[in-house]
Amino acid sequence: MKHKLLPVLIGASIFALTSCSKSNKDDVQTNDAALEVKVITDFANVLANPDYVDLQTKAAILNTSVATFVATPTDANLLAAQTAWKNTRAPWEACEGFLFGPVEDNNYDPTMDSWPVDKNELDALLASNNPLGVSDISSLSETQKGFHAIEYIIFGLGGTQKAANITARQKTYLTSLTQSLYNTTQQLVNSWAASGGNYTKQVTTAGSGSTTFATRQALFVALVGSMADICDEVSASKMQTPLLAQDSLQDESAFSHNSIADFKNNITGIYNAYMCTYNGATGTGLNQIVAAKNASLDLKLQTQMKAAIASFSTITTTYEKAIYTQQSQVKAVQATINTLHDSLDGDLKTFVTTNIKD
Amino acid sequence: MRKIKVIGILLALMILMVQCQKSSTLPAEDYDDRLSGGLETVFNATSHAFSQMFTNMGIYDEHVHSVGDDVFSRSFVTAPAPINSGLGALYNNVSCISCHHNDGIGLPTAGESQSSLLVRISQPGTDANGGPLAVPGYGLQLQDKAIFGKLPECKVNISYTYTTATLDDGTPYELRTPTYTLSNLYTPIATNYMLSPRLAPPMIGLGLLEAIPESQIVAGADPSDANNDGIKGRANYVYDANTKTKMIGRFGWKANTATIITQIVTAFNQDMGLTTSILPVESSFGQPQYDGLKDDPEVADTIVNAVKFYAQTLCVPARRNTTDIAVKRGEQLFALGKCVNCHKQTFTTAVDVTRPYLSSQVIHPYTDMLVHDMGPGLADNRPDYLAGGQDWRTAPLWGLGLYETINSPGYYLHDGRARTLIEAIMWHGGEAESSKAYFSHLSTADRNAMLTFLKSL
Repeated sequence: MKHKLLPVLIGASIFALTSCSKSNKDDVQTNDAALEVKVITDFANVLANPDYVDLQTKAAILNTSVATFVATPTDANLLAAQTAWKNTRAPWEACEGFLFGPVEDNNYDPTMDSWPVDKNELDALLASNNPLGVSDISSLSETQKGFHAIEYIIFGLGGTQKAANITARQKTYLTSLTQSLYNTTQQLVNSWAASGGNYTKQVTTAGSGSTTFATRQALFVALVGSMADICDEVSASKMQTPLLAQDSLQDESAFSHNSIADFKNNITGIYNAYMCTYNGATGTGLNQIVAAKNASLDLKLQTQMKAAIASFSTITTTYEKAIYTQQSQVKAVQATINTLHDSLDGDLKTFVTTNIKD
Repeated sequence: MRKIKVIGILLALMILMVQCQKSSTLPAEDYDDRLSGGLETVFNATSHAFSQMFTNMGIYDEHVHSVGDDVFSRSFVTAPAPINSGLGALYNNVSCISCHHNDGIGLPTAGESQSSLLVRISQPGTDANGGPLAVPGYGLQLQDKAIFGKLPECKVNISYTYTTATLDDGTPYELRTPTYTLSNLYTPIATNYMLSPRLAPPMIGLGLLEAIPESQIVAGADPSDANNDGIKGRANYVYDANTKTKMIGRFGWKANTATIITQIVTAFNQDMGLTTSILPVESSFGQPQYDGLKDDPEVADTIVNAVKFYAQTLCVPARRNTTDIAVKRGEQLFALGKCVNCHKQTFTTAVDVTRPYLSSQVIHPYTDMLVHDMGPGLADNRPDYLAGGQDWRTAPLWGLGLYETINSPGYYLHDGRARTLIEAIMWHGGEAESSKAYFSHLSTADRNAMLTFLKSL
């Protein structure tokens, strides 16, 4: 019973201390609030919306590239489609650095990025005479749609796909898959747009009228929680599962050998969310709130993020090969990411709940 | 010097012993009523509020939780596959998360990739263990999806009829009554079947509910209404596939499942067509959809245990705004309306030296873990062990105020028929009839206070 008293006492004393010192810090509080509002607004307008719009733009190019390939099935056009797929993955994996809101609540994530892909079902479907229009595939399981189903067709097992080997049925399916992916990216953009679901407003009015975020702190808790979650997912799940199993088929993007780029873009997404930067545009980031109150924590976080992003360059082959031939490098990368995760999940979470008080 | 020390220690001991003789409830000044889950409460009111791991476990336990979290959110695929192999032949969905969106209550539709409603089926009578009797060709649950080349058992159609009514102060509300019909049956069905829709419930605090001593639950039971309050809570006793014994039912809308591990393997087996060492037989066994593969069990014990552990170690979100006047007033009204007679506020979990994080926690789930007759309006008319056709387990209310945040818009009750808290309350009948009437009679200000209190949970 006694030990339960302790946190309450500590809490009470902190409360007493903060309530004693509040009165002469009113102007500081106002400055804090103004900075927090700026960070929240920039997160929505400089990072989140542009990232989702970029995803939609890249998905449109992928859709066009696939149409070009289907009309003129050359290896060059197949390569262009493969490149367009990789270019679409980049903004997607980056936006996983802040995976909350409509992307999750409206199930856009599983619709686009379910994994593993159900190879047997895909093969059976392709071997059948079932219709493969956009509306037909909407009723399929998520394991037969999205990025990885497209990847399976255009890259093939081991990434060895040739234009000549892609059947007419596969082309029909592929056309519907990329159109469907584009439609989902459009829905995602609309869910944030003022003309659509206007989730942007829920974010920018956090603590001042938002029905989703009663306080600004709640939004920062959601943001930091998402950053920590993806960090853990990259190291403990996406990298660890195939490494432990010693099975490259358990890599998420095994067909395209895009796994390392995926991982790196996930961590870059965390950096983007912390610094509020996307595609060269920069806003006022959470880093400025941290730097104002705890410069050493800010330095530590930035250093660890950069180290985690840079660490991938030590792996000099595809992740599919690295789990067999470069295990020590893989483990070193995981360790770097784990260090960052602990700082996000510990220090940064604590910082946000302690210092953002509205 | 030494004497003084000894005397000091003795004095300290005496003080401690005096403290030990205090009543076992927390004195008011130490009490923080935000801590719904005791030490396993998380201060998070975002859409991820139901997905937070216990914070006071060791590194290894955290790792096991994360493995379970992974499996929970990853799709299963048809066999053979390098990972997550074994989906089907019959199933309702491809992953846990597809029904339990954000670990919360799901979407009350059937047959879509994001549907969270499944339909149980049985015929009159009981099986050898006193449980529901399977329907030949269909079993105990309808699977409305099948792998390529196999036929789903049926399609479940949901239609609603709408009725409007008013509360005593003139506020209108609308209730929607669902009707469930089956079409596209793959084989003829016995005509006397009974259906029961069940919506995916929230995942929070399950380990704490499992850790409540049975004696505490039974102590609240009053099957003969000895205290004349019109409430006759009863414990359900059910067959547990893991221990192969009869145990007190704790989970599921009719308290028809005794343990979390059995809940998990049943979901694997029935919802996804995945076999485990506890339930090694495919749900489609004996039906034409059966795959005939020799790959059982498809899910390894380590995976089952990780998912079980994940479900056991999800925090309960802290209450919000507990010092607001309206919340305080609403809490009083909740008691005055006798809502707390079933939605019991407090339990203390059992001592568990192997799992200190679940041990001796004072928790506020707002359930008595018992089943009650809720009247004909809400009834599915399908018995489940000792729970009759009108009986439902008191649903835990912790986290209730976050349903809309976690799965916008929120849905309530066993089949998601209620879209607002007012609707959910007005569906109460049977033993809850007088509490419902009490709510309906409240003044506008008091009613809003009660709703504000519920939203603080």
